[in-house]
Amino acid sequence: MNCNINFNNEWLTLLFTSRDTTQQKFIRYTGKINNNGFEGDINLSDGSKTNMKIEKISSKRAKSKLKNKITKKEKVIIPVTYPNVAYGNEKLPQKETLLFKNATVWTNEIEGILYNTDVLVENGKISAIGKNLKSSSAKTIDASGKHLTSGIIDEHSHIAAASINEAGQNSSAEVSIEDVIVANDINIYRNLSGGVTTIQILHGSANPIGGRSAIIKLKWGETADNLIFKNSPKFIKFALGENVKQSNWQSFTRFPQTRMGVEQMYMDYFSRAAEYNEIKSSGKEYRYDIEMEVLSEVLNKQRFISCHSYIQSEINMLMKVAENFNFNINTFTHILEGYKVADKMKSHGVGASTFSDWWAYKYEVNDAIPYNATILNNVGVITAINSDDAEMSRRLNQEAAKAVKYGGTSEEDAWKMVTINPAKLLHIDDKVGSIKIGKDADLVLWSGNPLSIYTKAEKTIIEGATYFDLQIDKQQRKNIKNERNILIQMMLKEKNKGIKTQPIIVKKKQDMHCDTLDNNEF
Amino acid sequence: MNKVILLIFILCASILHSQQTPAPIQKKSIAIKGAKAHIGNGKTISNSLIIFENGILNYVGDNNNNKDLSNCVVIQAFGKNVYPGLIIPNSTLGLIEIDAVRASDDVSEIGEWNPHIRSLIAYNTESRVVETMRPNGVLIAQITPRGGVISGRSSIVQLDAWNWEDSVIKTDDGIHMNWPNNYSYGRWWKGEDPGLKINNKYAEKVNEIETYFNNAKAHIKKSNNKINLPFESMEELFNNNTKLYIHVDDEKGIIDAVSLAQKYGINKITIVGGYESHKITDFLIKNNISVLLQRVHSRPEKNDDDYDLPYKLAKKLVDAGITVGLEASGDMERMNSRNLPFYAGTTAAYGLSKEQALMLITLNNAKILGIDQKYGSLEVGKSATLFISEGDALDIRTNNLLNAFIDGREISLESHQTKLWKRYSEKYQIPIN
Repeated sequence: MNCNINFNNEWLTLLFTSRDTTQQKFIRYTGKINNNGFEGDINLSDGSKTNMKIEKISSKRAKSKLKNKITKKEKVIIPVTYPNVAYGNEKLPQKETLLFKNATVWTNEIEGILYNTDVLVENGKISAIGKNLKSSSAKTIDASGKHLTSGIIDEHSHIAAASINEAGQNSSAEVSIEDVIVANDINIYRNLSGGVTTIQILHGSANPIGGRSAIIKLKWGETADNLIFKNSPKFIKFALGENVKQSNWQSFTRFPQTRMGVEQMYMDYFSRAAEYNEIKSSGKEYRYDIEMEVLSEVLNKQRFISCHSYIQSEINMLMKVAENFNFNINTFTHILEGYKVADKMKSHGVGASTFSDWWAYKYEVNDAIPYNATILNNVGVITAINSDDAEMSRRLNQEAAKAVKYGGTSEEDAWKMVTINPAKLLHIDDKVGSIKIGKDADLVLWSGNPLSIYTKAEKTIIEGATYFDLQIDKQQRKNIKNERNILIQMMLKEKNKGIKTQPIIVKKKQDMHCDTLDNNEF
Repeated sequence: MNKVILLIFILCASILHSQQTPAPIQKKSIAIKGAKAHIGNGKTISNSLIIFENGILNYVGDNNNNKDLSNCVVIQAFGKNVYPGLIIPNSTLGLIEIDAVRASDDVSEIGEWNPHIRSLIAYNTESRVVETMRPNGVLIAQITPRGGVISGRSSIVQLDAWNWEDSVIKTDDGIHMNWPNNYSYGRWWKGEDPGLKINNKYAEKVNEIETYFNNAKAHIKKSNNKINLPFESMEELFNNNTKLYIHVDDEKGIIDAVSLAQKYGINKITIVGGYESHKITDFLIKNNISVLLQRVHSRPEKNDDDYDLPYKLAKKLVDAGITVGLEASGDMERMNSRNLPFYAGTTAAYGLSKEQALMLITLNNAKILGIDQKYGSLEVGKSATLFISEGDALDIRTNNLLNAFIDGREISLESHQTKLWKRYSEKYQIPIN
């Protein structure tokens, strides 16, 4: 054995290298000095780790007792996975014929919750719901004591995107999130582990007219283009309030700086779009303008608005602007004071997609209450609960439970707030959002009542293919540990040969929220 | 009839008041009959009787006895659940009202070395955020300053008081130190790669701490020194009269920080955050170090970490025999602190029993904060700081408080938020459940 010794800031590192050049193995030790020697951990060449003390003793006894067991080839080629990051699969998950037996099925349809019920999945669709279903070709899953629901849909997400805000101007209708999807973002996998199957990635809220959305299914391993929801309805993000008037950072030059200015900015843009539209449809020559094209789609009811909004005055204002131009706002997202104008929202026909209990982070959310979703739902507004947050998005089942806690929404209605209601708001409820024959088999098998804090997602399925499975996850953890060890051993070997090394750098993606600005934008 | 009108008038008047009026002291003995008592020490009594007088529990036991309750106000609580008041440590409640409004922000003093700074006097008992804690069962908080290397001193308060002086349970209970990171993230807003790199300044930063401790010790030893308020505030630490809370996450940092503190004879140490503490449980046990574990509802640090690592950290530490409590600092920590029971609930979904999970936010937090003589569990002789919930308080869908008491005083469970809820439900003529 050779040994490299390094002592720095009271920490000792030892690197033992076996002499055998065909099967070189490495053992690493890191320990902190104490009165008697060193104490720390030893990493064996098989990846295992144990505590080890080094004490001052006579040199005779100090002969190495370290032995290592593994016999590994010198260079190992590790297979590419889909995606090629941690928790990627060696093969893309395939559609299967699946038969869930004896589940508690939350249909989200008129049938309500069905007990001891079977659900059959074929060709990526739900093909039968009932008792004692049989299929010779199906993989049978015993779901006794478990709950089966449609996948969670997050109306407001910023995961899996390389960029969120084009904030240089007050309208950025020309940009689209579909162009910046990051298909290998680990947050996709983590959302799957929380039962999420479909999300809308919204542009940020730095400007009154934001960019166009991407609606994606979380098919972990697929390319960015293949994630995009088929025949996806068109959406654009709008935003109101403190973010668009740039209240909370030092910017005093961009119009608008007040809610008054925000209204007139919309009036201005939609007037221009109406003019553009008129010239275009008259057959006269016109100069193609991508921004005006997008806003014309809004006027022609071919593109829907999801608008970041908090206080009642601005909510009311935007509805009036839209009515002026003879279209409807589709969704108010966040909408924390929606409860104050729920009746007006209902008559306008706009839906609400809100936080369960967030408030107090800025002045405009001072009157935000956790009863918002319950009140809106009771008044008859289509109400969803969203995340806007990569952490909360993997616990949306719990966030839905807050509508039960605050205001006493029924469990079935609360569950709809993270499934069929956001599907309706996104105009994809003909395909997803409930367990109904003919709909996409986007399903989650839960260990218990999906609203309970004690419940875990055991399987998350999209169009009949399993993208998350607790058992597979367990195996992947082992594989990751193993792969990490192989890579470290290979790197140490190269390092020992004297090859140039570089310090450790862990890649970190910046977390995105509504108000996240890209590098150097301001 | 007149009495009914008067009662309605009083109720309306109290609803119109902007903040909740603190409850008066307990006058009559109160008995809670028939509830499932969750003691907070891991035990339960399924059909319990709990009696308290002058703010102190004087009976906690089985309901099947012939106790004379004629002097008591009896609360029938069959099928319901009683819990000790939940304790939120390392909290900034009442130090900021609205994050984005600078004028409402009193959380972080300028400068790196502020052991003399005291959170208590800035704690706003009338915070609207504070009153939203109570309907979820959070009744006690450690109010903690932030910022710098040594942020200052925390104090422990109960959440129903007219002013900070009346709220206090323990004054200046600990000094909070933020340990430098072994690794640092690139400052993306300055165009650097946001990735994690080895912090080249780590040794230098640790050295600065050591120098500060040396200087403080030297200053205290020499009696004829001129007054130096920060140094003098360190004396309580060296005497072990106050606790050292070290905010640190990585394994090397924890070992370095504890070793440094021990060099100065400091033996009352708690790790706050402790993301990697599960890797060095032997070290923590050997040195008798408790851990206030980071917010359970957070994501793993590394892409290849287990997706549920933050959920199961508590289990790993409890199994190793460490005294572990839960804290909730981080993004939106104040308003989110009311979710403390659900952070505990999640640890029960990932390995702990429900009663073990409850301990993390009751008795264990009380022990770590040094208030377990009086708070943290339902035991005779302790303060009657407790609440009754319709169902399991650790599960969102069943956490529904009916009554709550602090030192025997029955506190209001209303808030600015419940008032708005009722007002607008009435506007739309929706009956309130």
